[in-house]
Amino acid sequence: MMKCEEFEFLGLDMDRADARPEEAAAAAEHAAGCARCSALLESWRELKQDLRVLHESTRLESAPARVEMRLKQELRTRREARVPHRTARVAAWSFAAAAALAAAAGWAHWRGVSAPTATVSPQVAAVAQSNPDPAAESILLAADYDTGDFTQLPGSMPTASSDQAILQARVQRGALMQFGLPVAPEQATDWVDVDFLVGEDGQPLAVRLHQESQTEAVTQ
Amino acid sequence: MKIIDEKEPALLKRAVRGDEQAFLALYQKHQAPLYRYALRMTGSPWAAEEVVQEVFLLLIREPHKFQPDRGELGAFLFGVTRNRVMKHLERLPREDSLDEINANGTAWREPEDPLTPMMIAEKTERIEQVREAVLDLPAEFREAVVLCELEELSYEEAARACGCPVGTIRSRLHRGRALLLAKLELLRDAPRRASAGAR
Repeated sequence: MMKCEEFEFLGLDMDRADARPEEAAAAAEHAAGCARCSALLESWRELKQDLRVLHESTRLESAPARVEMRLKQELRTRREARVPHRTARVAAWSFAAAAALAAAAGWAHWRGVSAPTATVSPQVAAVAQSNPDPAAESILLAADYDTGDFTQLPGSMPTASSDQAILQARVQRGALMQFGLPVAPEQATDWVDVDFLVGEDGQPLAVRLHQESQTEAVTQ
Repeated sequence: MKIIDEKEPALLKRAVRGDEQAFLALYQKHQAPLYRYALRMTGSPWAAEEVVQEVFLLLIREPHKFQPDRGELGAFLFGVTRNRVMKHLERLPREDSLDEINANGTAWREPEDPLTPMMIAEKTERIEQVREAVLDLPAEFREAVVLCELEELSYEEAARACGCPVGTIRSRLHRGRALLLAKLELLRDAPRRASAGAR
């Protein structure tokens, strides 16, 4: 049997949809036999009725339209703010890519043009100037003693002298014929980068084609 | 329109990217219950409007705060609304009453009822007293009454919404009801009715 204290706590739930059936039954039984709790239940039911009216009167309430307008405005503002931001980001990346490209090109050029310079011996200079092919560009010296992969020129003797130099030049392949090297006639007009190993007397001793030129030659 | 059927996290993603339609779909689904809760808790249409606006602004500005793996968007929005309402109640004592012109520019209205003008006046007065009494309850008891009696949520739903056990909600509701009844002096009538019933 439910007591009055229990009824005050649980009994007013008896009309709720989620009330436990056994509690609701006990509360109804108690209210039937207790005038005070019955009156309390009646008062609560009146109040509950008023709460329902209050609920109904506000059932269709919703935020005013101006809230929606403000939120839409905020959404648009943020969207517009994002567009320049995106443009700036693209521009920044483009600039960075261009700078990297320029730096790479500059570095490649620097490597090609200003490789460690060696002292130009008068003989080397003379060889460069006395190159019989007018098309030959006798420009630069690379490092001394870089004798790897050189092809001995016909008629020259290998020497162990330390006073040798390498002359880098861009010539037409046909010019190599003057040093006794065989050149296919159809390739005679091709431009190739070559290194001449020049002896202490200023005469070329050996020659090597640059890797790119060799590759080109192979592919051709 | 298909947009209604789309999952809320997907809609939210689109909304954050600036898709107005997706945002409106979310807003229209959730704003009314949030507004009503805020209105019933604060008693002020202006405060309720501000709260709802803040809640959705938060959703636009900091969408990452909603984590779909931790619950539904509706629950998240209710939680944010609840926090804002509680902050509002802490900051300000109740300023406005609902009998003022409400935010939509219309006066507070009773549902249509075929009663005499006298009865309507009495009923309106009684409802007004009830509304005042609800707004005078301490916030936690008021919340239990609003959720369980006005919004008619189950105890479990209300407990989930408030992030507390069902027992706590029941206890708060019990206290809230008692205070309401006392406030409305219905309890004072009860012994009289009881004695009249006994006779």
